[in-house]
Amino acid sequence: MGKSWDIIIIGGGPAGLAAAIYCGRSLRKTLVLEKQVFGGQIVNADIIENYPGFAEPIVPAELMDQMFKQSQRYGVVLENDEVSMVKSENNLWRVDVYKNFFTAKAIIYAAGSTHQFFNVKGEKELLGRGVSVCATCDAPFFLNRKVAVLGGGDTALVDALHLAKFASVVYVIHRRDQLRAEKILQDRVLKNDKIKLLWDREVVSFQGDQKLEAIELRNKKTAVVETITFAGAFLAIGTIPNTELIKNYVNLDDKGYVVTDISLSTKAKGLFVAGEVIKGNRRQVAISVGMGVQAALNCEEYLASLE
Amino acid sequence: MAEIISANDGNFDSFMNGVKTIIVDFWAPTCIPCKLMEPGLEKIAANYQENVKVLKVNVNENPLTSSRFFVRTLPTLLFIKNGLVKTQIIGAANPSQIEKTLLEVQ
Repeated sequence: MGKSWDIIIIGGGPAGLAAAIYCGRSLRKTLVLEKQVFGGQIVNADIIENYPGFAEPIVPAELMDQMFKQSQRYGVVLENDEVSMVKSENNLWRVDVYKNFFTAKAIIYAAGSTHQFFNVKGEKELLGRGVSVCATCDAPFFLNRKVAVLGGGDTALVDALHLAKFASVVYVIHRRDQLRAEKILQDRVLKNDKIKLLWDREVVSFQGDQKLEAIELRNKKTAVVETITFAGAFLAIGTIPNTELIKNYVNLDDKGYVVTDISLSTKAKGLFVAGEVIKGNRRQVAISVGMGVQAALNCEEYLASLE
Repeated sequence: MAEIISANDGNFDSFMNGVKTIIVDFWAPTCIPCKLMEPGLEKIAANYQENVKVLKVNVNENPLTSSRFFVRTLPTLLFIKNGLVKTQIIGAANPSQIEKTLLEVQ
Protein backbone atom coordinates (compact mmCIF):
# COMPACT_ATOMS: atom_id res chain seq x y z
CA MET A 1 0.00 0.00 0.00
CA GLY A 2 1.44 3.36 -0.99
CA LYS A 3 1.72 6.20 1.48
CA SER A 4 -1.56 8.01 1.99
CA TRP A 5 -2.11 11.75 1.95
CA ASP A 6 -5.04 14.09 2.41
CA ILE A 7 -4.17 16.01 -0.72
CA ILE A 8 -1.76 15.39 -3.57
CA ILE A 9 -0.99 18.41 -5.71
CA ILE A 10 0.28 17.48 -9.15
CA GLY A 11 2.48 20.28 -10.48
CA GLY A 12 4.89 22.54 -8.62
CA GLY A 13 4.47 25.77 -10.59
CA PRO A 14 2.78 28.95 -9.34
CA ALA A 15 -0.69 27.34 -9.10
CA GLY A 16 0.56 24.18 -7.37
CA LEU A 17 2.78 26.00 -4.89
CA ALA A 18 0.08 28.55 -4.03
CA ALA A 19 -2.37 25.68 -3.45
CA ALA A 20 0.26 23.93 -1.31
CA ILE A 21 0.60 26.92 1.04
CA TYR A 22 -3.16 26.97 1.66
CA CYS A 23 -3.45 23.18 2.02
CA GLY A 24 -0.60 23.23 4.52
CA ARG A 25 -2.26 26.00 6.48
CA SER A 26 -5.44 23.89 6.57
CA LEU A 27 -3.28 21.31 8.36
CA ARG A 28 -3.87 18.79 5.59
CA LYS A 29 -1.22 16.16 4.95
CA THR A 30 -0.13 17.44 1.56
CA LEU A 31 2.29 16.15 -1.07
CA VAL A 32 3.34 18.16 -4.14
CA LEU A 33 4.76 16.26 -7.12
CA GLU A 34 6.69 18.14 -9.79
CA LYS A 35 8.12 16.37 -12.83
CA GLN A 36 10.68 18.99 -13.82
CA VAL A 37 11.80 21.90 -11.66
CA PHE A 38 9.79 23.51 -8.88
CA GLY A 39 8.56 26.91 -9.90
CA GLY A 40 7.33 25.85 -13.32
CA GLN A 41 8.10 27.41 -16.69
CA ILE A 42 8.23 30.93 -15.26
CA VAL A 43 11.63 30.22 -13.71
CA ASN A 44 13.00 30.38 -17.26
CA ALA A 45 12.15 34.08 -17.44
CA ASP A 46 14.74 36.57 -16.23
CA ILE A 47 12.31 39.03 -14.66
CA ILE A 48 8.60 39.57 -13.92
CA GLU A 49 7.37 43.14 -13.96
CA ASN A 50 3.63 42.66 -13.58
CA TYR A 51 3.27 40.55 -10.44
CA PRO A 52 1.24 42.81 -8.16
CA GLY A 53 2.87 44.04 -4.99
CA PHE A 54 6.37 44.63 -6.30
CA ALA A 55 7.25 48.11 -7.53
CA GLU A 56 10.53 46.88 -9.02
CA PRO A 57 10.96 43.88 -11.36
CA ILE A 58 11.47 40.61 -9.53
CA VAL A 59 13.35 37.43 -10.41
CA PRO A 60 10.77 34.66 -10.95
CA ALA A 61 13.04 31.93 -9.61
CA GLU A 62 13.37 33.85 -6.35
CA LEU A 63 9.61 34.36 -6.09
CA MET A 64 9.02 30.66 -6.69
CA ASP A 65 11.72 29.72 -4.20
CA GLN A 66 9.93 31.79 -1.57
CA MET A 67 6.64 30.02 -2.36
CA PHE A 68 8.40 26.65 -2.16
CA LYS A 69 9.83 27.49 1.28
CA GLN A 70 6.55 29.04 2.42
CA SER A 71 4.72 25.77 1.71
CA GLN A 72 7.42 23.77 3.51
CA ARG A 73 6.92 26.02 6.52
CA TYR A 74 3.39 24.61 6.80
CA GLY A 75 4.52 21.01 6.62
CA VAL A 76 3.94 20.36 2.93
CA VAL A 77 6.16 17.66 1.39
CA LEU A 78 7.51 18.47 -2.09
CA GLU A 79 8.97 15.73 -4.27
CA ASN A 80 10.54 15.75 -7.70
CA ASP A 81 8.90 12.88 -9.57
CA GLU A 82 6.85 12.29 -12.69
CA VAL A 83 3.28 11.10 -12.35
CA SER A 84 2.45 8.28 -14.73
CA MET A 85 -1.14 7.57 -13.71
CA VAL A 86 -4.01 9.20 -11.82
CA LYS A 87 -6.88 6.90 -10.96
CA SER A 88 -9.97 7.02 -8.79
CA GLU A 89 -10.44 3.79 -6.85
CA ASN A 90 -12.35 2.91 -3.68
CA ASN A 91 -13.22 6.55 -2.91
CA LEU A 92 -9.55 7.46 -2.97
CA TRP A 93 -7.21 8.79 -5.63
CA ARG A 94 -4.23 6.70 -6.62
CA VAL A 95 -1.22 8.47 -8.09
CA ASP A 96 1.58 6.41 -9.64
CA VAL A 97 5.11 7.78 -9.92
CA TYR A 98 8.42 6.22 -10.95
CA LYS A 99 8.93 3.11 -8.75
CA ASN A 100 6.14 4.08 -6.28
CA PHE A 101 2.52 5.09 -5.80
CA PHE A 102 0.52 7.20 -3.35
CA THR A 103 -3.12 7.60 -2.38
CA ALA A 104 -5.03 10.72 -1.44
CA LYS A 105 -8.52 11.84 -0.53
CA ALA A 106 -8.28 14.68 -3.03
CA ILE A 107 -6.17 15.86 -5.92
CA ILE A 108 -5.36 19.37 -7.04
CA TYR A 109 -4.21 19.03 -10.61
CA ALA A 110 -1.96 21.92 -11.63
CA ALA A 111 0.32 20.22 -14.12
CA GLY A 112 0.56 23.27 -16.38
CA SER A 113 1.43 23.11 -20.01
CA THR A 114 4.32 22.30 -22.29
CA HIS A 115 5.83 24.21 -25.19
CA GLN A 116 4.00 24.09 -28.45
CA PHE A 117 6.10 23.09 -31.45
CA PHE A 118 5.50 23.70 -35.15
CA ASN A 119 6.09 20.03 -35.97
CA VAL A 120 7.85 20.93 -39.18
CA LYS A 121 10.90 19.44 -40.85
CA GLY A 122 14.17 19.95 -38.99
CA GLU A 123 12.62 21.24 -35.77
CA LYS A 124 13.08 18.13 -33.67
CA GLU A 125 16.53 17.39 -35.08
CA LEU A 126 17.80 20.92 -34.39
CA LEU A 127 16.20 21.35 -30.96
CA GLY A 128 19.08 22.21 -28.67
CA ARG A 129 21.24 22.95 -31.69
CA GLY A 130 19.98 26.39 -32.47
CA VAL A 131 16.27 25.78 -32.00
CA SER A 132 15.40 26.71 -28.43
CA VAL A 133 12.46 27.19 -26.09
CA CYS A 134 14.33 29.15 -23.41
CA ALA A 135 15.73 32.56 -24.34
CA THR A 136 17.06 33.28 -20.86
CA CYS A 137 18.93 29.97 -20.73
CA ASP A 138 20.38 30.11 -24.22
CA ALA A 139 20.84 33.78 -25.19
CA PRO A 140 24.59 33.85 -24.36
CA PHE A 141 25.21 31.23 -27.08
CA PHE A 142 24.12 33.79 -29.66
CA LEU A 143 26.39 36.71 -28.82
CA ASN A 144 26.59 38.99 -31.88
CA ARG A 145 24.66 36.47 -33.99
CA LYS A 146 21.39 36.82 -35.87
CA VAL A 147 18.42 35.14 -34.21
CA ALA A 148 14.68 34.77 -34.71
CA VAL A 149 11.85 34.71 -32.21
CA LEU A 150 8.77 32.93 -33.50
CA GLY A 151 5.50 34.17 -32.04
CA GLY A 152 3.66 37.38 -31.25
CA GLY A 153 2.54 37.14 -27.64
CA ASP A 154 4.04 38.29 -24.34
CA THR A 155 6.59 35.46 -24.21
CA ALA A 156 7.82 36.20 -27.74
CA LEU A 157 8.38 39.88 -27.05
CA VAL A 158 9.97 39.34 -23.64
CA ASP A 159 12.30 36.83 -25.31
CA ALA A 160 13.11 39.27 -28.12
CA LEU A 161 13.95 42.05 -25.65
CA HIS A 162 16.20 39.71 -23.69
CA LEU A 163 17.92 38.37 -26.80
CA ALA A 164 18.56 41.90 -28.08
CA LYS A 165 21.06 42.30 -25.23
CA PHE A 166 23.18 39.53 -26.78
CA ALA A 167 22.40 39.05 -30.47
CA SER A 168 23.42 41.36 -33.31
CA VAL A 169 19.85 41.45 -34.57
CA VAL A 170 16.58 39.81 -33.51
CA TYR A 171 13.75 39.12 -35.93
CA VAL A 172 10.31 38.64 -34.43
CA ILE A 173 8.49 36.45 -36.93
CA HIS A 174 4.74 36.31 -36.55
CA ARG A 175 2.06 34.60 -38.57
CA ARG A 176 -0.35 37.53 -38.24
CA ASP A 177 -0.07 41.23 -39.10
CA GLN A 178 -0.35 42.43 -35.53
CA LEU A 179 1.00 41.46 -32.14
CA ARG A 180 -1.15 40.31 -29.26
CA ALA A 181 1.37 41.03 -26.49
CA GLU A 182 0.96 43.64 -23.76
CA LYS A 183 1.11 47.15 -25.23
CA ILE A 184 4.05 48.12 -23.03
CA LEU A 185 6.07 45.24 -24.48
CA GLN A 186 5.07 46.15 -28.04
CA ASP A 187 6.20 49.70 -27.40
CA ARG A 188 9.60 48.57 -26.13
CA VAL A 189 10.09 46.21 -29.07
CA LEU A 190 9.17 48.82 -31.65
CA LYS A 191 11.62 51.27 -30.08
CA ASN A 192 14.49 48.76 -29.97
CA ASP A 193 16.84 49.26 -32.93
CA LYS A 194 18.09 45.68 -32.77
CA ILE A 195 14.62 44.13 -33.14
CA LYS A 196 12.91 43.80 -36.52
CA LEU A 197 9.46 42.42 -37.26
CA LEU A 198 8.45 40.06 -40.04
CA TRP A 199 4.68 39.77 -40.40
CA ASP A 200 2.44 37.11 -41.94
CA ARG A 201 5.13 34.45 -42.07
CA GLU A 202 4.65 30.80 -41.24
CA VAL A 203 7.50 28.38 -40.69
CA VAL A 204 7.98 25.75 -43.39
CA SER A 205 11.16 24.16 -42.07
CA PHE A 206 14.28 24.58 -39.98
CA GLN A 207 17.46 23.93 -41.93
CA GLY A 208 20.98 23.00 -40.96
CA ASP A 209 23.43 20.18 -40.53
CA GLN A 210 24.29 19.60 -36.85
CA LYS A 211 23.19 23.16 -36.03
CA LEU A 212 20.56 25.61 -37.23
CA GLU A 213 21.60 27.55 -40.29
CA ALA A 214 18.35 28.93 -41.74
CA ILE A 215 14.57 29.05 -41.45
CA GLU A 216 12.34 28.53 -44.44
CA LEU A 217 9.30 30.82 -44.25
CA ARG A 218 6.15 31.24 -46.30
CA ASN A 219 4.42 34.57 -46.58
CA LYS A 220 0.76 33.87 -45.85
CA LYS A 221 -0.48 36.74 -47.99
CA THR A 222 1.74 36.37 -51.07
CA ALA A 223 2.62 32.62 -50.75
CA VAL A 224 6.25 33.54 -51.44
CA VAL A 225 8.69 31.15 -49.78
CA GLU A 226 12.00 32.55 -48.55
CA THR A 227 14.95 31.07 -46.67
CA ILE A 228 16.64 33.36 -44.18
CA THR A 229 19.86 32.51 -42.34
CA PHE A 230 19.67 32.46 -38.56
CA ALA A 231 22.00 31.10 -35.89
CA GLY A 232 19.17 30.71 -33.39
CA ALA A 233 15.39 30.28 -33.41
CA PHE A 234 13.40 30.75 -30.23
CA LEU A 235 9.94 29.22 -30.20
CA ALA A 236 7.24 31.20 -28.37
CA ILE A 237 4.07 30.05 -30.05
CA GLY A 238 2.10 29.03 -27.02
CA THR A 239 1.65 25.88 -25.05
CA ILE A 240 -0.40 22.71 -24.90
CA PRO A 241 -2.06 21.69 -21.63
CA ASN A 242 -0.80 18.64 -19.74
CA THR A 243 -4.20 17.06 -19.23
CA GLU A 244 -3.66 13.59 -20.65
CA LEU A 245 -3.51 12.02 -17.16
CA ILE A 246 -6.95 13.26 -16.11
CA LYS A 247 -8.80 13.22 -19.42
CA ASN A 248 -11.24 10.54 -18.21
CA TYR A 249 -12.28 12.56 -15.18
CA VAL A 250 -12.80 16.04 -16.61
CA ASN A 251 -14.49 17.84 -19.47
CA LEU A 252 -11.92 18.91 -22.04
CA ASP A 253 -12.33 21.36 -24.90
CA ASP A 254 -11.06 20.54 -28.39
CA LYS A 255 -7.57 21.78 -27.51
CA GLY A 256 -7.30 19.67 -24.38
CA TYR A 257 -7.98 22.37 -21.78
CA VAL A 258 -10.20 21.58 -18.78
CA VAL A 259 -13.59 23.21 -18.89
CA THR A 260 -14.63 24.28 -15.39
CA ASP A 261 -15.98 27.26 -13.48
CA ILE A 262 -14.99 29.32 -10.45
CA SER A 263 -15.33 26.21 -8.24
CA LEU A 264 -12.36 24.70 -10.12
CA SER A 265 -13.97 21.34 -9.48
CA THR A 266 -14.40 18.61 -12.08
CA LYS A 267 -16.95 15.92 -12.79
CA ALA A 268 -14.94 13.59 -10.53
CA LYS A 269 -15.38 14.04 -6.80
CA GLY A 270 -12.24 15.25 -5.06
CA LEU A 271 -10.45 16.30 -8.24
CA PHE A 272 -9.76 20.02 -8.55
CA VAL A 273 -7.81 21.87 -11.21
CA ALA A 274 -5.76 25.07 -11.24
CA GLY A 275 -3.51 27.09 -13.51
CA GLU A 276 -2.70 26.62 -17.16
CA VAL A 277 -4.62 23.38 -17.63
CA ILE A 278 -7.86 25.41 -17.54
CA LYS A 279 -9.65 26.75 -20.60
CA GLY A 280 -9.44 30.51 -20.94
CA ASN A 281 -6.39 30.95 -18.71
CA ARG A 282 -4.21 33.89 -19.67
CA ARG A 283 -0.85 32.41 -18.66
CA GLN A 284 -0.03 34.91 -15.93
CA VAL A 285 1.68 34.01 -12.66
CA ALA A 286 -0.78 36.15 -10.69
CA ILE A 287 -3.74 34.30 -12.22
CA SER A 288 -2.23 30.87 -11.59
CA VAL A 289 -1.49 31.81 -7.99
CA GLY A 290 -5.08 32.95 -7.50
CA MET A 291 -6.42 29.76 -9.04
CA GLY A 292 -4.19 27.66 -6.81
CA VAL A 293 -5.58 29.40 -3.75
CA GLN A 294 -9.15 29.01 -4.97
CA ALA A 295 -8.66 25.30 -5.70
CA ALA A 296 -7.10 24.73 -2.28
CA LEU A 297 -9.96 26.46 -0.45
CA ASN A 298 -12.58 24.52 -2.40
CA CYS A 299 -10.66 21.32 -1.85
CA GLU A 300 -10.60 22.02 1.88
CA GLU A 301 -14.37 22.54 1.83
CA TYR A 302 -14.76 19.22 0.05
CA LEU A 303 -12.57 17.35 2.57
CA ALA A 304 -14.42 18.95 5.49
CA SER A 305 -17.70 17.73 3.98
CA LEU A 306 -16.43 14.14 4.18
CA GLU A 307 -15.75 14.38 7.91
CA MET B 1 30.54 9.94 -1.68
CA ALA B 2 31.10 10.75 -5.34
CA GLU B 3 30.65 14.36 -6.29
CA ILE B 4 30.05 16.16 -9.53
CA ILE B 5 33.39 16.97 -11.18
CA SER B 6 33.96 20.36 -12.80
CA ALA B 7 35.53 19.76 -16.20
CA ASN B 8 36.94 22.33 -18.60
CA ASP B 9 38.26 22.70 -22.14
CA GLY B 10 41.73 21.74 -20.94
CA ASN B 11 40.98 18.56 -19.03
CA PHE B 12 37.71 17.28 -20.55
CA ASP B 13 39.29 14.48 -22.57
CA SER B 14 41.13 13.11 -19.56
CA PHE B 15 37.75 12.02 -18.13
CA MET B 16 36.84 10.05 -21.25
CA ASN B 17 39.11 7.12 -20.42
CA GLY B 18 37.75 4.19 -18.48
CA VAL B 19 34.63 2.09 -18.52
CA LYS B 20 32.30 4.31 -16.56
CA THR B 21 29.31 5.95 -18.22
CA ILE B 22 29.76 9.71 -18.21
CA ILE B 23 26.99 12.25 -17.76
CA VAL B 24 28.00 15.74 -18.83
CA ASP B 25 25.92 18.59 -17.47
CA PHE B 26 26.33 21.74 -19.58
CA TRP B 27 25.33 24.75 -17.48
CA ALA B 28 25.81 28.47 -16.94
CA PRO B 29 25.32 30.68 -13.88
CA THR B 30 22.44 32.48 -15.61
CA CYS B 31 20.55 29.23 -16.24
CA ILE B 32 18.08 28.81 -13.38
CA PRO B 33 16.80 25.35 -14.43
CA CYS B 34 20.45 24.20 -14.45
CA LYS B 35 20.79 25.28 -10.83
CA LEU B 36 17.52 23.58 -9.86
CA MET B 37 18.65 20.30 -11.46
CA GLU B 38 21.88 20.12 -9.50
CA PRO B 39 20.54 18.29 -6.40
CA GLY B 40 19.17 15.53 -8.66
CA LEU B 41 22.51 15.13 -10.41
CA GLU B 42 24.33 15.01 -7.07
CA LYS B 43 22.02 12.17 -6.06
CA ILE B 44 22.78 10.29 -9.29
CA ALA B 45 26.53 10.84 -8.80
CA ALA B 46 26.30 9.42 -5.28
CA ASN B 47 23.95 6.50 -6.04
CA TYR B 48 25.82 5.33 -9.14
CA GLN B 49 29.38 6.19 -8.17
CA GLU B 50 30.60 2.67 -9.06
CA ASN B 51 29.57 2.93 -12.70
CA VAL B 52 28.99 6.59 -13.48
CA LYS B 53 31.00 9.79 -13.54
CA VAL B 54 29.08 13.09 -13.55
CA LEU B 55 30.86 16.09 -15.06
CA LYS B 56 29.71 19.69 -15.22
CA VAL B 57 30.90 22.12 -17.87
CA ASN B 58 30.30 25.86 -17.59
CA VAL B 59 29.54 26.82 -21.19
CA ASN B 60 30.55 30.45 -20.70
CA GLU B 61 34.06 29.47 -19.66
CA ASN B 62 34.48 26.43 -21.91
CA PRO B 63 33.31 27.27 -25.43
CA LEU B 64 35.42 24.57 -27.10
CA THR B 65 33.72 21.69 -25.29
CA SER B 66 30.26 23.21 -25.82
CA SER B 67 30.90 23.75 -29.55
CA ARG B 68 32.40 20.30 -29.95
CA PHE B 69 29.10 18.76 -28.85
CA PHE B 70 26.99 21.42 -30.63
CA VAL B 71 25.44 22.52 -27.33
CA ARG B 72 23.20 25.53 -27.95
CA THR B 73 20.61 24.98 -25.21
CA LEU B 74 20.78 24.84 -21.44
CA PRO B 75 20.43 22.66 -19.59
CA THR B 76 21.82 19.89 -21.80
CA LEU B 77 22.86 16.52 -20.40
CA LEU B 78 24.99 14.21 -22.55
CA PHE B 79 25.29 10.51 -21.78
CA ILE B 80 28.64 9.20 -23.01
CA LYS B 81 29.82 5.62 -23.04
CA ASN B 82 33.11 4.37 -24.50
CA GLY B 83 33.78 7.87 -25.76
CA LEU B 84 30.57 8.05 -27.77
CA VAL B 85 27.51 10.18 -27.09
CA LYS B 86 24.71 7.66 -26.61
CA THR B 87 21.86 10.08 -25.95
CA GLN B 88 21.06 13.50 -24.53
CA ILE B 89 18.41 15.26 -22.48
CA ILE B 90 17.63 18.81 -23.51
CA GLY B 91 15.89 21.05 -20.98
CA ALA B 92 15.18 20.58 -17.31
CA ALA B 93 14.86 16.97 -16.14
CA ASN B 94 13.97 15.42 -12.81
CA PRO B 95 16.14 12.77 -11.09
CA SER B 96 13.84 9.93 -12.24
CA GLN B 97 14.13 10.99 -15.88
CA ILE B 98 17.90 11.18 -15.59
CA GLU B 99 18.03 7.80 -13.86
CA LYS B 100 15.77 6.18 -16.46
CA THR B 101 17.90 7.52 -19.30
CA LEU B 102 21.08 6.39 -17.55
CA LEU B 103 19.73 2.85 -17.12
CA GLU B 104 18.81 2.71 -20.83
CA VAL B 105 22.34 3.74 -21.78
CA GLN B 106 24.16 1.36 -19.43
